[in-house]
Amino acid sequence: MRGEKLIALQARGDALRGEISFEPCQGCHRIDASGRTSGSYPRLAGQHGTVLIKQMTDIRAGRRNNPKMEPFIGDHVVSPMEIADIAAYVSNLPIPKEIGQGPGTGIAHGKDLFAKDCATCHGERGEGKGEKFYPMVAAQHYRYLLREVKFIRDGDRRNSNPEMVKVIGQYSDEDLEAVADFMAQLVAPKK
Amino acid sequence: MTRLHLPAALLGLTMVAMAFPVQAEDAKTIAATICSGCHGEDGNSTIPMFPRIAGQDETYIIKQLKEFRGGQRKSDVMAPVVASLKSEDLAPLAAHFNGQKPKGQDARDAKLAEQGKGVYLDGNENSGLPACIGCHQPEAVGHGVYPRLAGQHPEYLLQQLKSFAANERTNDASRLMRVVAKRMTEDEMKAVTEYISGLGPK
Ligand code: HEC
Ligand code: HEC
Ligand code: HEC
Ligand code: HEC
Repeated sequence: MRGEKLIALQARGDALRGEISFEPCQGCHRIDASGRTSGSYPRLAGQHGTVLIKQMTDIRAGRRNNPKMEPFIGDHVVSPMEIADIAAYVSNLPIPKEIGQGPGTGIAHGKDLFAKDCATCHGERGEGKGEKFYPMVAAQHYRYLLREVKFIRDGDRRNSNPEMVKVIGQYSDEDLEAVADFMAQLVAPKK
Repeated sequence: MTRLHLPAALLGLTMVAMAFPVQAEDAKTIAATICSGCHGEDGNSTIPMFPRIAGQDETYIIKQLKEFRGGQRKSDVMAPVVASLKSEDLAPLAAHFNGQKPKGQDARDAKLAEQGKGVYLDGNENSGLPACIGCHQPEAVGHGVYPRLAGQHPEYLLQQLKSFAANERTNDASRLMRVVAKRMTEDEMKAVTEYISGLGPK
């Protein structure tokens, strides 16, 4: 790991400063970082700080495509220190109650898939693991999750974990819908 | 590019004000003698081409005045005005206008304003237009580097959005407003400025 990601990870983020640095993000991710239930913008509140830092630096380095957000996360807008500050602020925000849900019809099938293929990394309750950069996938908006697992399968999310790509690579569209349906309704564990 | 055409009478008035530099100028005097002709003595201009500056954030006012002077924000009208000011006048002037009670108007077209409310609160997920509320705050009261917009003349707001989109106004830090304005359709611009103009005290 090199460069600004390392700098941001080692820096001691300041949540008070982060609240200010997060302002240009609020127009999309909302003031409480709850995202949109439509899934157009993901929930960030309560996500692991390390995950937030990795995704922010990946997006601005072009390792993860995000043309809508790019002009707002460029290094002319936020410094590596501010990335650490934003992560400190956002990771401590409460997880919102209103989460965009799937049809509900895939939950049973999704549960099996998740236990078999995903829980080793993302945790049984979808809580993720900060030290390993495994995102919390519980209580995330359904449409966002569905879009991401498709990106991961089809190679459009280039910063993905190769082991995960291997597993998800075998999934049909129905499998992806089911596993996203299941993850969206998982209740985020209390910290 | 849409250039502002000053009414000759107003221009004459400012020329007069600038020709007689006031002694021991305090902010109130400068405001009354120089700024009032266009922005109104209390900063609540009644002429659409002159922005209302009453209640505007102090740091934002100082930033604009410095940038009119430095040429980062281009205005044939404001440049000579600011050239006549001393550097130490800027902060007291900003404090003076910040301290004035803002006074706006009702939106003229309620239906258009209602559409604009959606743009203000939600942006547009398809085009990636962020909601204005994220930066300009609820009720468009502004905060820090994000200016107050509430109650502003809709004509002025629309003109600024168009000049951000056309790269004619380029003094926005980190290009944030240029990116935002470029993602807006003309209809969204008209609707949201109508909505914003009706916010705040009347
Ligand atoms: C113009 C809208 C927009 C703005 C402004 C914006 N984002 Fe995003 N952001 C997005 C979108 C869209 C995605 C999801 C992209 C995708 O589908 O892969 C995203 C994803 C993210 C992610 C990844 C989340 C995850 O679970 O992997 C993080 C972290 C993030 N944004 C942080 C920020 C921060 C911090 C800012 C401000 C500096 C910001 N965003 C500003 C639109 C925006
Ligand atoms: C070997 C560990 C591992 C396994 C197994 C794994 N993942 Fe992941 N997953 C990751 C990592 C690491 C990331 C973050 C990728 C990155 O850095 O962009 C991730 C990201 C994701 C994301 C994006 C989250 C976000 O907020 O953007 C989703 C959704 C996801 N995984 C779903 C799954 C599903 C569903 C499975 C099982 C079918 C699975 N993962 C299996 C490690 C794993
Ligand atoms: C001759 C008319 C005129 C005079 C006199 C004048 N202004 Fe202006 N002012 C304008 C115009 C026109 C604009 C809008 C410029 C543009 O098109 O961007 C403006 C813009 C401003 C702005 C930026 C407002 C915003 O919302 O961004 C500030 C602050 C300002 N003037 C302060 C002052 C002060 C303080 C004085 C007195 C020292 C003054 N002006 C005198 C015409 C005038
Ligand atoms: C990412 C943050 C951000 C978002 C979102 C945003 N703005 Fe701005 N806006 C700014 C900044 C910063 C400035 C001040 C630029 C400067 O310093 O001159 C500004 C200035 C303006 C101005 C000029 C005000 C004046 O008095 O001259 C207008 C008009 C404006 N914004 C309208 C909007 C509208 C309408 C929206 C929603 C569609 C919006 N803004 C969304 C950051 C933002």
